Amino acid sequence: MTSAFSLIHSKPGRTFDTALSWLLFAAGVGIYLYVAQARHAENPEERVTPTVTQMVNGFTDAALKPAEDDEATLPENASVFRRFPASMLWKDTKATSRRFFYSMLLLIPAVLLGLHMGLFPYVRVFFLRFILFFDKIVALSLLPILFIAFGIDELSKVMLIVIGVTPTIILDTFNLARGIPPEQVTKAFTLGAGDFDVAYRVVLKQLMPNVLNSIRLNLKAVMLFLFAGEMIASTDGLAYRIALLRRHMGMEIIIPYVLWVALLLFLVDLSMRVINRKLHPWFREA
Amino acid sequence: MTNLISIENLSMTYGSPARPILSGIDMSIAEGEFVCVLGQTGCGKSTLLRLVLGSEQPTRGQVLVDGERHLRPDWTRGYVPQKYALFPDRTVLDNITFGPEVREFNLFTRMMPRFFRRRRELRMHAMDYLMRIGLREADATKYPDQLSGGMQQRVAIAQALMTQPRILLMDEAFSALDPGTRRDMQKLIRQLWRDTRTTVLFVTHNTQEALSMATRVVVLAKEDPAHGSRVMLDMALNQPCREDEMPRLIAKVEGVCGSSRDPESALFSGEELPDKILL
Repeated sequence: MTSAFSLIHSKPGRTFDTALSWLLFAAGVGIYLYVAQARHAENPEERVTPTVTQMVNGFTDAALKPAEDDEATLPENASVFRRFPASMLWKDTKATSRRFFYSMLLLIPAVLLGLHMGLFPYVRVFFLRFILFFDKIVALSLLPILFIAFGIDELSKVMLIVIGVTPTIILDTFNLARGIPPEQVTKAFTLGAGDFDVAYRVVLKQLMPNVLNSIRLNLKAVMLFLFAGEMIASTDGLAYRIALLRRHMGMEIIIPYVLWVALLLFLVDLSMRVINRKLHPWFREA
Repeated sequence: MTNLISIENLSMTYGSPARPILSGIDMSIAEGEFVCVLGQTGCGKSTLLRLVLGSEQPTRGQVLVDGERHLRPDWTRGYVPQKYALFPDRTVLDNITFGPEVREFNLFTRMMPRFFRRRRELRMHAMDYLMRIGLREADATKYPDQLSGGMQQRVAIAQALMTQPRILLMDEAFSALDPGTRRDMQKLIRQLWRDTRTTVLFVTHNTQEALSMATRVVVLAKEDPAHGSRVMLDMALNQPCREDEMPRLIAKVEGVCGSSRDPESALFSGEELPDKILL
């Protein structure tokens, strides 16, 4: 006798679907609140699990109070809109975002290299073996070398991200370009396209949605390398602040900072997804 | 009539150790002919087509198109593969206008006002083609994955003809279509051939399809496994082929190839392969 119920074919209803998808968030918050309350009941000076009030206060201070070096510049009664741009949180977010933006710009040559490797045999032969080897190097192990070679300024942090993420993007784009049906390339030639027309007007246009998805999947890796660089050698940035506050056990700011980073990354991911959908209405995700 | 395609002592091998596919093929195709190349699966029909296309180079011999060797595909030879190969990121209209656009404008001249004027003209011309191949105006803005197989193949034919190639190469172009659509497409391609007099080289393993469309049928087959395929039959046809003549011609073609019970590799004389073989 076969069971009438199949897990693979069962589908949760809309309400159940929503409830189920939020359940782990609710459980996480619930467990944290319970543990925090229990620890605070035991020891009112407890600092590892700050209460919600402590975190709200800590985050408000970070978002509205001036950064150390700007302390004297703002009047006491300045509005929120004037206080936020001078705050520690804004300063750190700006520094991290700048580095993140540079890293994203450096992914463009990586995509183009992957595209050319996928289409032009000589480029493939020249680069592929080296990139495959390069991909296996643990980027963080190069950190001391990078600091020696490029100093402890921005360049070494950006280079860390480049070394850590670009081989993956190059190889991803390479594989995507190789996956384009050869008939399509042949047909483009028979319609009068040249090599670069095929590369940029046929293949790259088709790859772009998948390339953007690949970059979306690598956002976390970009941030990981960026945070590693900032934590070790920096004077500003979100990771620098987290590392600094760790020394003072400032969990009431560290936890909101971690959530802030997650929120920012989520927003970047969401905007990339929306842009992808708007720019490529023909694209159907697998 | 002048020879447009000359195939001279053409041989092709693949792999190592060399596996012969074609051996000493000699044939000429005159301008305006509709030639169907028939043969069992694996006999080298598509290889022959790719050699004429220029996407592969022969091991020995040469293919001359209008007296010249072509080392890569170009717009003089239009191509319609089995799997349509439409550009999925372009609408039907953009797919059809791709050829003239890419030939007339590069990445930079596309920014100029002249491009937009010319583009409007091309789109109007493409709309005419769209109607001719039996699609509606509403289909113009659809993406390929929103069309049926038959519609996609119609678009692929219009796309290839839009560049006005001297030769149209079709590789098992209708084999993925259902019998009804296939018949419609055969009529369409005959009609387009009559209108444009483009030289057509059509590869198929369906004997009836070849006999109902071509002005000439060329059958490729291997005499023995150690050698590649040769031209075993080269037969001119009067079109339209008479119904009562059909069984005799089918028997003649299949007699040359030898019969095979393997539905994957056999020449197929009917309209469709059975979905299942019931034992």
